Amino acid sequence: MKSALNSGLIAIAWLFVLLITALLAFSQPTAFDSSIMALLPKSEQKPLVQQAVDQVSASFSKRLTILVSGEDETSVRSATATLSQSLAMVPEVSTVRWQVLADELKQSQQALFPYRFSVLDEHVRETLLAGDFNNLQQRALWKLYSPLAMSKGSIKEDPFGLFSELTLNQKTNLNIQVSNNMLKVSGTEKPTYLLLATLSVEPFSPDLQQRLLNIIDRQEKQLAAKGISLQKSGMLLHAAAGARQAKSEMSTIGVGSLVGIVLIMLLVFRQLKPLLLMLLPVAVGCVFATAITVLFFDRVHLITFAFGAGLVGVSIDYALHYLCKRRVSLSAQALSNLLPGLVLGLLSSVLAYAALALTPFPGLRQMAVFSVAGLIGSWLTVVLWLPVLMRRDKTQPLAFSEWLACAQQRFPTLHGNPVLMGVIAILLLISVFSLWNSENDHDIRLLQTSPASLLAQEQTVQKTLGVSSSSQFLLVSCESLEQCLQREEQLLPELKALSPDESVIDYQALSSVLPSLQRQTENSDLIKQLYEQQLPVFFEKLTLPTQVLTQTKRNFETLQTQRLTPAYWQQQLGSADWKALIVQGENGRVATVIRFGGFVDDTVRQQLKLLAAKYLDISYVDQVQNVSNLMASYRNQVVFWVLLAYLLVAAILLTRYKRQAWRILLPPLLASIFTLAILVQLQGSVNLFHLMALILVLGIGLDMGIFMNESGGSAHTWLAVSLSVLTSLLAFGLLALSKTPVLHHFGLTVLMALIFSWLLAISMRKNHLREGNL
Amino acid sequence: MRPLLSGLLLMVMSQLSVAEGLTFALLEELTVSPAQLEGRFSQHKYLSSMDISLTSRGEFEYQRGKFIRWETLDPIQNELLVTPTAIVSRQGEQNLMQLGTESNPAVAVFSEIFFSVLTADWTKLAENFELFGRVDGEQWQAELQPLNDSINQVVSGVILKGDSLLREVILNESGGDTITIQFEYLLP
Repeated sequence: MKSALNSGLIAIAWLFVLLITALLAFSQPTAFDSSIMALLPKSEQKPLVQQAVDQVSASFSKRLTILVSGEDETSVRSATATLSQSLAMVPEVSTVRWQVLADELKQSQQALFPYRFSVLDEHVRETLLAGDFNNLQQRALWKLYSPLAMSKGSIKEDPFGLFSELTLNQKTNLNIQVSNNMLKVSGTEKPTYLLLATLSVEPFSPDLQQRLLNIIDRQEKQLAAKGISLQKSGMLLHAAAGARQAKSEMSTIGVGSLVGIVLIMLLVFRQLKPLLLMLLPVAVGCVFATAITVLFFDRVHLITFAFGAGLVGVSIDYALHYLCKRRVSLSAQALSNLLPGLVLGLLSSVLAYAALALTPFPGLRQMAVFSVAGLIGSWLTVVLWLPVLMRRDKTQPLAFSEWLACAQQRFPTLHGNPVLMGVIAILLLISVFSLWNSENDHDIRLLQTSPASLLAQEQTVQKTLGVSSSSQFLLVSCESLEQCLQREEQLLPELKALSPDESVIDYQALSSVLPSLQRQTENSDLIKQLYEQQLPVFFEKLTLPTQVLTQTKRNFETLQTQRLTPAYWQQQLGSADWKALIVQGENGRVATVIRFGGFVDDTVRQQLKLLAAKYLDISYVDQVQNVSNLMASYRNQVVFWVLLAYLLVAAILLTRYKRQAWRILLPPLLASIFTLAILVQLQGSVNLFHLMALILVLGIGLDMGIFMNESGGSAHTWLAVSLSVLTSLLAFGLLALSKTPVLHHFGLTVLMALIFSWLLAISMRKNHLREGNL
Repeated sequence: MRPLLSGLLLMVMSQLSVAEGLTFALLEELTVSPAQLEGRFSQHKYLSSMDISLTSRGEFEYQRGKFIRWETLDPIQNELLVTPTAIVSRQGEQNLMQLGTESNPAVAVFSEIFFSVLTADWTKLAENFELFGRVDGEQWQAELQPLNDSINQVVSGVILKGDSLLREVILNESGGDTITIQFEYLLP
């Protein structure tokens, strides 16, 4: 009676601890992280690089690009206008660009006119540097006689037409021309117009996705009838597709596994209560884990939740063992019988998971903290609450467990079965051989969750517009913007040398529109020489009076010290697209991004890396590569720590089970090796998500072996083990049906490895179980 | 048969006599649109800022839709080749200027105006200009007003004169300058 009171008190104490932790944790606002880069070890991400990456990707993620095309130009134009106007009505859409007003264009050009002597067209500058001043005079003369209406501005203000050369050669990075005030895509078969919507918020709100997609889908249907089609690209579409997929899988796979688990539990226990008691510890574990993680880390990553919750799922074992044991013995006795196994099970799983905490990766550390806290929380709930909650339940052996025990008896064991031993040995050899020859796969597409049709559309849009998703760029980081610009100017000739015909590397650099002040001074000095050498000859040819010459010279003199400053430039309309290339860091540090368009192949990538390596302040950043490397190093870390976890667990098991420890360790180990070998054959390689699944398998497999050994393979243990495998299969194995690659890989691995582990555990059980204990 | 024919004739006549009745369709009827043409030109360019006029002479030839070669012989020697994809200016052996229309929308507009005006491509002109004009017997004069801003930024108006062939072009540049071109010795 006294002990019952005690256990009641301890149970209440645990409730208090849980409530206080949760209160502490959830009273403060929690930041959640979904960026995969947040999983990178801190030291590897320079803050400025990170900022640049964020800036570049934000400009992509908040943008929605739509191409409208059809046979009839007029209806395509009006469709573009209508769609733009309806998108602009959405409050979260900050701008929709689909037309260029003549006034705007004129205004942005006029703003630069006073700087025509210091900001020069590249080709003009090259000619001047080559000393071919005569060429420029000839060109100016030709333009005056040309039948093309190309001479702009007055002779007195700009006799050599420097400004018109500059504006004429200003290239757009997109395959876009302004056609009758609208943005027409060049080089397409059918007339195609561009529409660019920019969001003021991140595109992840389901409500926003719904509203925007409703508008677009409705119009797309109407337009399809008129033979007009839309090609869309943007993070919003991917986010929406992802959400839709998650929702549909939640209602198929999710409901499927839930129904499966409920059915099995009802079938075996013929009561609702055991089901609830089984889920309670997992739920408590997850709440406790979340609270502890929030208290330990200021930002919690969503991936931590996804996988962490999966790992905590192992704790379902504790509940099942208690539930099954409770059927054959009374409350207090059941717990004391189970306790050694429960302690050992917890210890081994905690050790296995905690090994992850020692890695330098914040993502894995968070996951370790989460799953260790979750396991402990669940465990305490099983040990402290279940006896109290079930204290009035009667013992009542389960018919199912007897049947299962009989079935198990018929299953062959390794003991005295050289054929089975041989088969396993051969399988092991084949598996190791297959793994030995496997390749690594850190394909970023694993993280890609979008349907193929959307990705294809995305590619069409990018190809049509001639842009890349700009995952790679050069980052020039300096003390001041002026220094960055100077450095860029030093670098650009080398970049150009890599691709003489511009077809290989198509880059976008700030200094090409905003030259450094140093470069501007150089330029105006060159123009000064041009005026001195060529102006008199030129005006003589035109037979212009000398006062025109004097006036023209004076015009130059008043403007030759004018410099286009970054501050003034940033106020101009034309700078809007270029501002994203400036990264303003902390402590006044600044960086500029040189972005690449088109397809950057491996050779060019190598060249760019070499180029960046030459300068201390220039770094080559490749987002895709970074993520792939990240996944590769996570994978290698996980392999290492899984092996370490096995060793640690082996050490513990050896102290208790001596030479029998192999019965516990081998099933999950062999199952993992077999599974990996099959995965290599099926999918060509093993990735991070396969390995994450194997940690779960280790946890479940260890519990399985420990309890089987502890109980001497009694019928109720066997039932608990089988139920644990079955529920895990339903909870995680069904994810193999998911269309999301990450979940699919995780699920498939759990599915195979758990089945193997279960079969191996049966065949490695001690023979003549009923006769003796350890 | 005869009343019908004379009726048709009357209709055509009546259309011809009404000055505002000039349409692109009518111009299409009145002019022959040779697939290729060569001849001589004289060009006067009035520079408003200087209040001077620059006169030049030379030869030209075109193949509709393919290229226009514009060779200035006096007072400077220059060969200008305009194709739908590029504008190339050569002086002797030297390339003075080479501009692509693909990557450069502004160049594309120059090329388009020059092509459609010089080869009297009425369909193309109808897309970009509004037409005012009159017909007097075989002679016609067409005043073209840009319909859109991208054209308007280059030319504020174009006047074309001719008979079965285009004889004179007046381009009013947006900057205020005017180019007047007369054609002679035309050989389709």
